[in-house]
Amino acid sequence: MTTLNLTKPRFSLRGTEFTLAGIAIVFYAILAATTHGSVLSGGTITAILQFLAVPMMVGLSQMAVLAVGQMNLSVGVLTGFCAMVCAWLMVQVGLPAWLAVICGMLVGAGVGLINGLLVVLTRINGFIVTLATMTIIDGLRYGVHGTATYQGYAPGLVALGRGSILGIPGVFLLAVLVAVAVAVFFRRAALGRQLLASGGNPFAARLSGVSNDRALVIAHLISGLLAGVAGVITVALSGSVNATIGDDLLLPSFAAPIIGGVALVGGVVSVVGTCLAALIIRLVDVAQAQYSINPQWVDLIIGAVVLGAVLITQLRVVRRRRSTSP
Amino acid sequence: MTSFIAEKLVKTFPGVRALDEATLRLESGTVHALLGENGAGKSTLIKIVTGVYQPDAGRIVLADGTEGHFSGPQDAQRAGIGVVHQERNLIPAFSVAENIALQAVPKRFGFVDKTAMRDIARRCLSQLDVQLDIEAQVSTLSVAQMQLVEIAKALAVDSSVLLLDEPTASLTSDEADHLFAVIRRLRAAGKAIVLVSHKLEEVFAIADTVTVLRDGRSVAQAHKLSDYTREQIVDLMVGRAQQVVELDKPAVDPTAKPALELTDVATELGHADISLAVRPGEIVGMYGLVGAGRSELARAVLGLDRITYGTVAVHGKPVRIGSVREALHRYRIGYVTENRKEEGVFTEQPITRNMAVTVWRRLARLGMIRQRDETDLVRTYVDRLGMRISGPTQLAGQLSGGNQQKLSLAKWLAADCDILVIDEPTVGIDVRTKAAFHELIVGLAGSGLAILLITSDLPEMITLADRILVMSEYRIVGEVPNNHRYDPTSQAVIRLIHAAEAVTT
Repeated sequence: MTTLNLTKPRFSLRGTEFTLAGIAIVFYAILAATTHGSVLSGGTITAILQFLAVPMMVGLSQMAVLAVGQMNLSVGVLTGFCAMVCAWLMVQVGLPAWLAVICGMLVGAGVGLINGLLVVLTRINGFIVTLATMTIIDGLRYGVHGTATYQGYAPGLVALGRGSILGIPGVFLLAVLVAVAVAVFFRRAALGRQLLASGGNPFAARLSGVSNDRALVIAHLISGLLAGVAGVITVALSGSVNATIGDDLLLPSFAAPIIGGVALVGGVVSVVGTCLAALIIRLVDVAQAQYSINPQWVDLIIGAVVLGAVLITQLRVVRRRRSTSP
Repeated sequence: MTSFIAEKLVKTFPGVRALDEATLRLESGTVHALLGENGAGKSTLIKIVTGVYQPDAGRIVLADGTEGHFSGPQDAQRAGIGVVHQERNLIPAFSVAENIALQAVPKRFGFVDKTAMRDIARRCLSQLDVQLDIEAQVSTLSVAQMQLVEIAKALAVDSSVLLLDEPTASLTSDEADHLFAVIRRLRAAGKAIVLVSHKLEEVFAIADTVTVLRDGRSVAQAHKLSDYTREQIVDLMVGRAQQVVELDKPAVDPTAKPALELTDVATELGHADISLAVRPGEIVGMYGLVGAGRSELARAVLGLDRITYGTVAVHGKPVRIGSVREALHRYRIGYVTENRKEEGVFTEQPITRNMAVTVWRRLARLGMIRQRDETDLVRTYVDRLGMRISGPTQLAGQLSGGNQQKLSLAKWLAADCDILVIDEPTVGIDVRTKAAFHELIVGLAGSGLAILLITSDLPEMITLADRILVMSEYRIVGEVPNNHRYDPTSQAVIRLIHAAEAVTT
């Protein structure tokens, strides 16, 4: 047998994930030390995890389209729209909570499907298509109930949303379950692998019988569905919703996967990285509250970190090209 | 046993008959070389056989006697035709095993059956007698390893025909030897292997039969390779009936100071020891196979890639050119690109803007450009180059290929360039326009421009150039003085290329 010497991987995703976990732990430790342990209290931990669920979902929602090299600008407003539809179904239509929750998620999946079909059928760049649908959904969001707020719906659902098991918030457990499902989908399911193949090298994927169009549509559908999940989590967690929900979710939806090591060009995803990055962004929020920092600084910090993460990836690509060229 | 016939294939592209009743006949258990110079139709033939293109006429007959109609690459794969393209077609973030099994991923309940996937990968790799970590991510492999993965991938769908397009182009000689061992193994297993290669050495080392394409026709059809000498194969590839048009051109003053001179130049792209000089009024040709590094050298001279060693002198003065902008405005070097559509012409813009883009700075008064100045400019060059346009505001994209190429040339002339690098000037242009273009280029040289001409069209080269530099593997391997007679000159050029390869392989 002839053996060709194998080179060691120059860069592995696992490295990014370990780094992120390390950053999260150090960050949390610093927070604990400088706030006289107030972030160690059960209440604070519960709050951190409760409000981590939605950022995790929107991050994974963005990750699903990044997997095929696309972007979805409508993630944030779609989350808000699904929340409004879900609340409207309970308050004004009178549907039982469980049915309203399912409908809220289906609305998300439906909008995602439309996004995907528009991208494939018109051949217009996904960025532009979702910019358009973002604007439309933004309007629809207000169409549901104007600027008014829905509240006092389905006490059972809200109790469930705010409940916890062994001190761990239910919504966080749900988010973890969904994240595991997404991870299994991309790691093991044939369909998930096809999405990644298409994102990694569309021409090679086509030669191997993978339909790139189908991959695009499915990625957008999953993205919409996860935004829907984020929407119903918001409904269950907050007890009252209005049309401003989702306004502040677009940047976090990109920040989590990009910091988490997901390739912007497609083909590489990291569920663990995305969730850890969402946690770090959450800790920045906590720090802002603890130290009473002007909230504007938070956006600045997160924006700078995203830019830094993209730059590091870019440098890696350049270096790898250098080292492989003759 | 005949395992595959592609018979009398015809494929026409606008202005070009790429394949003209070419035939490829393959026997199982043999290695078949497919040879031909640049533009002979090899790529088109491969694309038809693998289902990427559909032929205009002709038929494909498979091993079982049925006719094959491939409406896409999948159909060809299903018919047992595997291919390893020149460019890599793997998913970088996937494991070796998953890449090998990608065309027929084993599934259980919608999930990838990893055990079955690994079995497929092991089976295919063991057919090649290759040991590779099937869990390794493809992006961590060397080029040679990736190539083996691609061959294994082609075997995963049970191919009886395997096409290898320039498989050794990026391999070291040890790696190539290993690849040949793999090819011999596959031949012994009864596969029909098609080897497309420019390297005659390796063709003679491994192939049993040969098909030679020239101008879209098969001039040797599945002949035994041992009946030929290398010289005879070269003669077949080059042909004898080429036309070279005589054009009147004043002789170049050999004592004149070179307009552009390169001495011992090396680049970050891998060029080494490049020395050449182009004098005013002279057309110096650079010939070589695709990938020899000619366009890349032009890019480096123009400041698009870095020159790491040696000197570039313009009119005798050593210069350091950092950007195309500097090349144009300071040293008056223009670059007529090979890729008109993407690099040479703004197709969605009117002719005026296309032509004036290089001289906006000169035309501008207080930062503004008067339309009349642009229109005057267009009138001048439309007359001078004999362009056919409907009006100065016609969109460049609406012009014919020849007129687009003239437009691309006009903007450099407008910029008063005295050195022009012209890259593949007549690709995709019909014969009549081509002749007009040749006269134009010779005329430009006659008026004192120094021209560095890159073309893969040998008759064109012999028509135009005063001297021909032959490039191979990023080096200049020789120079042929051009007497404008096709047979001796073309053979001298081709021999230089193959001699260079015999040394390096």
